[in-house]
Amino acid sequence: MTVTAYILVKANTGDADRVKAEIQTIDGVVDAHIVAGDVDFIVKVTVDSPARVKDIAAAGIQGISGIEDTQTYIAMG
Amino acid sequence: MKFIVIGAGRVGQRTARVLREEGHEVTIIERDSSKSDAARSDGFTVVEGDGSREAVLEVAGVEDADAVGALTGDLNANFAACLIAKHHGCRTVMRIDEDYREEIYQQYADEVDEVIYPERLGAIGAKNALLGGSVRAIADIAQNIQVLLITITDESPMRGYTLSEVALPAASRIIAFGKSDGPLGIPLQDDSLEAGDRVAVLATFSVLEDVRQLLVGEDSAAPLVGGK
Repeated sequence: MTVTAYILVKANTGDADRVKAEIQTIDGVVDAHIVAGDVDFIVKVTVDSPARVKDIAAAGIQGISGIEDTQTYIAMG
Repeated sequence: MKFIVIGAGRVGQRTARVLREEGHEVTIIERDSSKSDAARSDGFTVVEGDGSREAVLEVAGVEDADAVGALTGDLNANFAACLIAKHHGCRTVMRIDEDYREEIYQQYADEVDEVIYPERLGAIGAKNALLGGSVRAIADIAQNIQVLLITITDESPMRGYTLSEVALPAASRIIAFGKSDGPLGIPLQDDSLEAGDRVAVLATFSVLEDVRQLLVGEDSAAPLVGGK
């Protein structure tokens, strides 16, 4: 089983390069972009279970210094 | 000059008024019909619509505008508007809602010439009001450089001297001078400092206090540094 999800990440730091680099090192992250708008990054993950999505969002991304909030959207189709 | 201001909220409306007062031509783009009506009754040319859409910006005259201020509370709309405006050769100014984003947009958004965070400007105003007196911070140029507007008082140590005689700290410069009843202009060596005159000084934070002591003096209760 393959699960794809998009994680919208809000930061509270202007140090976007460092945060992006740290996000990219997380296992399962296939793409990460700095974006204009209400959130600061959109991260695409492809993993083998919904639980793994939660791990990446909760432990992986939220654990990076300068991250304020994440919203996770699991792809359906 | 010709300007387009997107958003007729608190920030946009005031910006438009200031530009108009200085004789510029301003067109406002506003999505909300009641805000549009309010801006129209205030005498502005208003295009009702979404300022992040090219067709709306064209109606507002983006083709021959000098600059576009994307001043809504919606970052996505602001950024999209700057993208389009830049494409049409305008200078672009974008409002952000969190100060940390300033760095991000300056680094990544080539389409945005300048980023503004209204709360920061509000904080400078509030700080001036709280401090009161003869020194007003005009702008934080960078994290460690500020422009101050200083009014010379009767107590100023440099009152009666000419600008060429004012020995400011090395990390500061007088950038403008105005007599009490005249506009600010380019400072000349022979300009003399009288009570009520105004001096704009560019200074690093480390010497702000030295500049203040030279041009304003201490409160009467405190001795002048090096003066007594």
